[in-house]
Amino acid sequence: MDDYAVGVLTNIGLFGFLAISAYLLLLAGEMSFGQQAFFGVGAYSGGMLTAMFGWPLPLAAIAAMGLGALAALMVALPTLRLRGLYFAMATLAAAEMARIGFELLHWQVEIEGEKIGPEGTQGFRSIRWVFENGVEPGAYLAIIWLMLAAVVAAILALERARLGATLRGVGEDPELAAALGVDVTRFKLGVAAVAGALAAFGGVLYAHHNTYVEPRNFDIMLGVHSLAYALIGGLGTVFGPLLGVIVDLGLLEGSRFFQGYRMIVFGGLVALLLVFRPRGLLDERMVRWLKQRFS
Amino acid sequence: MLFDLMQNTLDGLAAGASYALLAVGFTLIFGVLRRVNLSYGPAIMLGCYAATLVHLHFGAGLLVLAIVCVLATVLAGAFVERLCFAPHRRGSAIAAMVASFALWMQLEEAAILALPKHLYAFPGLYEGAPLEVAGFTVRIEALVMLGAAVLVCVLLWWTLYRTRFGVAARSVIDSPLAAELSGISVGRVSMGVFALASAIGGLAGFLISASVEQVTPMLGMWSTLKGLLAMMLGGLGSLPGAVVGALVLGLVEAHSQWFLGPQLRDFIAFLLLFVLLAIGPRWMTTR
Amino acid sequence: MAQATLFLILALVVPLPALAQRTQAELACTPTKTDFIYDCSIRLMRGGQPLPGAQITVGADMPSMPMAHNVKPVKAVPGKHAGEYHAKLDLEMLGEWAVKLRLSGPVRDQLILLYDFDEKGARQVTLSGKPLRK
Repeated sequence: MDDYAVGVLTNIGLFGFLAISAYLLLLAGEMSFGQQAFFGVGAYSGGMLTAMFGWPLPLAAIAAMGLGALAALMVALPTLRLRGLYFAMATLAAAEMARIGFELLHWQVEIEGEKIGPEGTQGFRSIRWVFENGVEPGAYLAIIWLMLAAVVAAILALERARLGATLRGVGEDPELAAALGVDVTRFKLGVAAVAGALAAFGGVLYAHHNTYVEPRNFDIMLGVHSLAYALIGGLGTVFGPLLGVIVDLGLLEGSRFFQGYRMIVFGGLVALLLVFRPRGLLDERMVRWLKQRFS
Repeated sequence: MLFDLMQNTLDGLAAGASYALLAVGFTLIFGVLRRVNLSYGPAIMLGCYAATLVHLHFGAGLLVLAIVCVLATVLAGAFVERLCFAPHRRGSAIAAMVASFALWMQLEEAAILALPKHLYAFPGLYEGAPLEVAGFTVRIEALVMLGAAVLVCVLLWWTLYRTRFGVAARSVIDSPLAAELSGISVGRVSMGVFALASAIGGLAGFLISASVEQVTPMLGMWSTLKGLLAMMLGGLGSLPGAVVGALVLGLVEAHSQWFLGPQLRDFIAFLLLFVLLAIGPRWMTTR
Repeated sequence: MAQATLFLILALVVPLPALAQRTQAELACTPTKTDFIYDCSIRLMRGGQPLPGAQITVGADMPSMPMAHNVKPVKAVPGKHAGEYHAKLDLEMLGEWAVKLRLSGPVRDQLILLYDFDEKGARQVTLSGKPLRK
């Protein structure tokens, strides 16, 4: 594989975490415009733990996931009773506050004569754990996709179990779910925390892949893209959001065929696609049909 | 101190007037269609870029630029309506919104392909010095903006309450189904509302570009964000609310910019929205 | 795969010491006749000395759209002087790019250089995130 293919596949994997995070919330009936904030929390906290405090990456990743979940809970607690656009705007406001928070974050420590740490709008350089530990790009790619595969497997198992039915039930008809004895608010809080942790995990991996992050990385564009990927790919299965990422980053960006015009092609394609498949390529009906076909 | 407060208030009202123009267009679409049009801002950006292109090639004057800006924005708006909103009229609001996001990408890229530089000069609305009134500085551009906002509100009220189109639009707001049953073409009303909102947006974009005397690729996102913020602050879907929300946003920004700096200015605006949504006062979250 | 897993487990147990001495890079770009294509020369320094013999792959990312809009990386070729390298960058649009230098050979590292590309060339960005209005 050449460098470029490795780079594109790495990006697809990294974006995959964020798209799945948006997907989980969509299943629970909530549209979040703010998942990029937890991606950012993961990137910053994970990067700080390895670069400034010498933690090994796996430990830092676990801690960052915890922080991502915590941040997601803090946003979800006061906003989850909001519906539709109100929730979307509340999460957007929270995410923009987080981004400005990163702009205001100045905290550097001196390591071997070099100041390392977040420097406000100047960004945060030298997140070099992956390099200092000699992880080759191919190996890092394998780590990312292994982790993503684990997440996908866990969600597939969850969808098979009763929990999956509950999740879709809460999303489609919260009143009915409540009548059936589900504590809808607590359930949604749980989903929000898991989605936040997933986004944060993607963020940690992103920061260490790129060695550099800055506040602008985590603006509204990132969040709306992940939401769009989930919806384009389809809400019927966890492979939907991944398919969305692959269609954009893999086919359009990766082929270079539409260089310079990629967004024009992508934008038109998505709008047309949604006319015919408003719940995405792999929507519930398609998934049911595929299952009958192949089992 | 008191002087600063007064001057900030004036500046805030001036900024609020431009937000009001953006928010009114946004609210019109949301109020009638119950759909969020994320590519509202990028359509405005496309309009302003078209005007900049005409200015660069033909050196056209302000009036021509204003017309080009409004027309191009309306065309872009109509394109968005056909592709993102007409097909989802009875369907999913989320699908319509994501589709409008997709076209956001498209419109922005089209504008950037036409004018790839990071910044283009736009002819200024007024070349002279700002007014000095009792020691306060008042920019002429701000007065024009305020005047335009008032004029647009009056015209809009007249359109909604004194014309047949307005009757149709209001009955669609009350109940799309009942409107359809009584023979009103919801599709035509929707198209008309889009054209009207886009025209207002185009005018807003022209006035904003001419008063900051530049256009940048940030204009699309900036317009969508400010319009959405003002609309949300004013309670969803109410036109007077949108104007109040826009003025509040302008005032809050001006004061927090002065006392806390530009980064915290945006922070405070988002914090205000977040807290208001979290407390959820009735005037904000019903409807 | 197995290697990666083993590596993860190892990494949990033994945090390795950081390398000494950082590599520094400077970039100078001039536009070519074709839009968005730049001729760039890179100067690598290490501990105040030019650093020759490195293999450099040059890529670029847009900060406001991470993980998308990345430019196909190219290999830089050594120039006349020690520590000097040349590469042709094909960007998709003007504006700010985070130029990524991935070094292999005697030094393994990744350097990020923030530059603003316009029709005259590229300038290093000192403060990012300019607001639209004053």
